Amino acid sequence: MMLEVKHLRKEFGGLVANGDISFELRQGEVLGLIGPNGAGKSTLFNCIAGYYKPTSGKILFEGRDIAGWPPHLVTREGIARTFQGMKIMPNLTVEENVMIGAFCRTHNREVAKKEAQDVLERMGLTPVAKSLPPGLPIAIQKRIELARAIATKPKLLMLDEVAAGLNPLETKEIVQILQTIKEEMGLTLFLTEHVMEFIMTVSERVIVMAAGNKIAEGRPEEVARQEKVIEAYLGERYAKGR
Amino acid sequence: MRRFLLDIFSFDDRPRFERVGFLLFLLVLLIFPWIVTSAYGRAVAIKFLLFALFGLGWNLIGGYGGQVDLGQAKNVGFGAYATALMIVWWKVPFWLTILPGMVIAAAESFAIAYPMFRLKGHYFAIATLCVALVWKELFIFWDWTGGARGVELSIRSGADFVYMQFNSPIYYHYFIFFLFLLQFFFMNWFRKSKLGYQVQAVRDNEDAAASLGINVYRTKVVNYTITGGLGALGGSFMAVYYLYIDPDAVMPLDLSILIAMTVMVGGAGSIWGPIIGAAILIPLDMYLGAWLGAQKRLGIDFMIYAVIMMIIAAKEPKGIWGIIERVIKRQKR
Repeated sequence: MMLEVKHLRKEFGGLVANGDISFELRQGEVLGLIGPNGAGKSTLFNCIAGYYKPTSGKILFEGRDIAGWPPHLVTREGIARTFQGMKIMPNLTVEENVMIGAFCRTHNREVAKKEAQDVLERMGLTPVAKSLPPGLPIAIQKRIELARAIATKPKLLMLDEVAAGLNPLETKEIVQILQTIKEEMGLTLFLTEHVMEFIMTVSERVIVMAAGNKIAEGRPEEVARQEKVIEAYLGERYAKGR
Repeated sequence: MRRFLLDIFSFDDRPRFERVGFLLFLLVLLIFPWIVTSAYGRAVAIKFLLFALFGLGWNLIGGYGGQVDLGQAKNVGFGAYATALMIVWWKVPFWLTILPGMVIAAAESFAIAYPMFRLKGHYFAIATLCVALVWKELFIFWDWTGGARGVELSIRSGADFVYMQFNSPIYYHYFIFFLFLLQFFFMNWFRKSKLGYQVQAVRDNEDAAASLGINVYRTKVVNYTITGGLGALGGSFMAVYYLYIDPDAVMPLDLSILIAMTVMVGGAGSIWGPIIGAAILIPLDMYLGAWLGAQKRLGIDFMIYAVIMMIIAAKEPKGIWGIIERVIKRQKR
């Protein structure tokens, strides 16, 4: 098992953002995480990536409990992430942004540069390698974040709303990119998304969260039919009315 | 090893006009004392080099690190006092006093880094300013530092290369030029190193930096420590150049601010910025200050600095180098 989350709980003061979350993620799998706003998806993400310290519970990555580890150690352990609101280094060129990711595994600048160029090539970003990120289209900036995360050579890649703000064509492009790199690098993917169409086509399995708890888990088409899920998204009346 | 040397001395990642410009700049400095023969002119050049050196070091925290440190004078003071006191007490040759001074300054920076980096932005700036002022008061208060009377170095005749005392400014010119080049090539290596990139990543976005495996806190501490050490180098030079130091001369608030200002005016976070800033502010300071002083209009130069500072802060955060880069980009189009 690549990732096992056991009874994860996260409170902010008195507010329970994650009640009691348990799930597993197999090597090579694509797992989606969906749920309405405020369901606690981002909290769960941030707990795994080390940005929040869980109140209780375990996060086993390849058998090792990483709960409470700082983010940089989580990344070095092999979990990379992208951010919901993009966090790109604005004063560094696209290539340098990706190089900093590559520096995670090497001390040598030439090696880092070479790896950055490889990743950029694969993501179709070579034409903008020497540009500064501000001013580039959103779709390109999303890809830069993705490229940077991949440059850290992760085993598990966590994508926080990677399709948000993209038009259907751009979404299709990023799906294609994700599928190629997943196969080439043998990545495991864990993604949250608001764009249902995107997550339903990409994921092999989805987890549904509502109000801080996991309410359903299974294949996308199965989950979408469950009453609890429809209720969480659209309200009680709609679920009963069917 | 070959790679390492290449990283120190090569500018192959910079455009050609920059490399040519830098070569011309070095040439001018090399022949400067032979063209300008007035003592004042030579003193201006020496002070320019000294502040370019200070700026290059400060650029580490202030430019690449993006944190305004208004306490660099304390490190200058540590260097100056280490050199002066070691020479006066034990007659240690100058060259052996540089490293202890840098180590003391770096160690102090390392020791105070933990509380410092719990603060950000303006609060960090104010904290650095206060720490430097506390050190200055301590150096005035203590007896072993010579207190407010300071430390005087006994004057040696002729050209002494052990204690680096000379009776002609030409020697000092090449001496500081040499130290400046040391610092400059260190910075040229730094900006291309892994640490250099990590420091910039942390400046631009701490969360993103952490997500890429960078230990944000450790990076800040290491950067602050190295900045401290680099500040001491120029201090050591000041001790043997002025032959007399006291806390008001080597650790004042003005010094901290002037160092920060040269970098911000020239262009923080670029290798040329501190040099350009010093080339503008130091001659301005020395000629304008002297001229206005003679006109009995003291203080007007400070008002001029303030205006420059405000214009830079509001209109061009990347300083004069930022303007130059933009103009050149526009011409290429």
